[in-house]
Formats: sequence, structure tokens, C-alpha cells
Amino acid sequence: MASRVLCVCVRSALRPLPRRSLPALSSSSACRQRSSLARPTSGAPVLATQMYEGSYRNNKVSDSLYQSCRQYSGPPPLTLEGISERVLYVLKLYDKVDPEKLAIGSHFMKDLGLDSLDQVEIIMAMEDEFGFEIPDADGEKLMTPQEIVDYIADKKDVYE
Amino acid sequence: MANPLRGEVVTLYKNLLFLGREYPKGEVFFKERLKKAFMKNKDVSDPEKIRELISRGEFVIKELEALYFLRKYRAMKQRYYEDGPGS
Repeated sequence: MASRVLCVCVRSALRPLPRRSLPALSSSSACRQRSSLARPTSGAPVLATQMYEGSYRNNKVSDSLYQSCRQYSGPPPLTLEGISERVLYVLKLYDKVDPEKLAIGSHFMKDLGLDSLDQVEIIMAMEDEFGFEIPDADGEKLMTPQEIVDYIADKKDVYE
Repeated sequence: MANPLRGEVVTLYKNLLFLGREYPKGEVFFKERLKKAFMKNKDVSDPEKIRELISRGEFVIKELEALYFLRKYRAMKQRYYEDGPGS
């Protein structure tokens, strides 16, 4: 139990700085070993199996910790909400769009008062954000944030 | 709106916008000037005139590429020859 508590503490302490967690991780596992060695001397065999279980769980925890330190996984899977959030975020940062008037269904030219050149810029910003190229023929048709979301979901195979 | 040259103009604008990202005076400066240049000619409807303007835009693309190559070349030269471009 104590080791688990210690583990939780170590995990919460490690979270803010994942880069430097490897040395800290080895020292914490050393601590854990010491504590699991210290306990069974006073306990019965039953307790020893419990300890074994505990240490096994700790190993699993440290595995997941180790996994979270690794940084070469792919990006998290896209969802429709995630896409629309990112699209709206990009639009909010675009200086000619009024964030107050912006809605998921607002038309770039009719509602937001942009011209076709601004729309081209928006499509380029979307290309940057999502990391793939939108052909001109498709990009011209995208006139609302909702259409952009649908288009990206279609291209990235997100259905939900 | 249904001008057949519209696609070409949009492509030109896109290419220029892409090249302008590394413009020495900054992307914002470039974007403003680019937009102004395009808006100045937004009422042109004669296909010949539009073609002429597009070829002018392509000339600007060439100029920008030359500018970037020259910048690269100067940076390389400065790193290899310490005394500067004169030697």
C-alpha cells in the first residue's frame, strides 16, 4: 500500500517534467524495491503474495509511465469535435475574422465579409494546420467552417 | 465570377502567398502588399489584360526565387570566406 502511495506521489511529481523523468524513474523504482524488501520480514506468506501482486502492479504502472515518457507515437486520432475545434481556432486567430460573429455555419463572404482572396488564405491556413494539401478546385468550394470540417473528415476518414 | 482564368489567378495568389512566407521584411508586410496589388486589378475583365497581369505575377515569382537564391548564396559565402564578399 505504502509503495502504491509512493508511486502515485512519484507519478504526480513526474508529470510536469516528462523529459527528465528517466533518472527520477530509476531512483523511484530503487526506492520501491527497498520498501518491498523491508515489508515481508514482518509479514506472513499471505502478505508476501500481496506484496508480489503489489509490485507486479507497480511494474505495470512504471511501464505505463515509461510509455508516457516516449515521444515518438503518432498524433492522437482525429474526431469530428476535434476537427471543428481546430478549424474554429484557426479562424479565430485570423485577423480579419471577427471572433464574435464566427459560428460553425457562417458563410465567409456573406456573413463574415471576407473576399475570395481571404478565403484562399484561410484554405492555406487549414492546409498548414492539418498538414495536407487541399487542391484548388476543392478549396474554392469550401465557404463555411462546417464545409471545411466535413471536407477534412472525409479526407482523413473520420466518420462518427 | 465564372471567369475561366479565375483558377489561374487563385493559383498565382496561392503561390505568391507561399513564397512570401520567407520574405525578408516579414510575411505580414508581403501579404498586405500582395493583397493590395491583387485588389487594384479586381475589376479587370478583359482576358488579354488578365493574361498579361498573370504573366507579370509569374515574373514576380521568378524575382522572389532569385532573391532567395541570392540570399542563400550570400549566407554561404559569408560562412566560407570570413573577410566578406569582396575577396
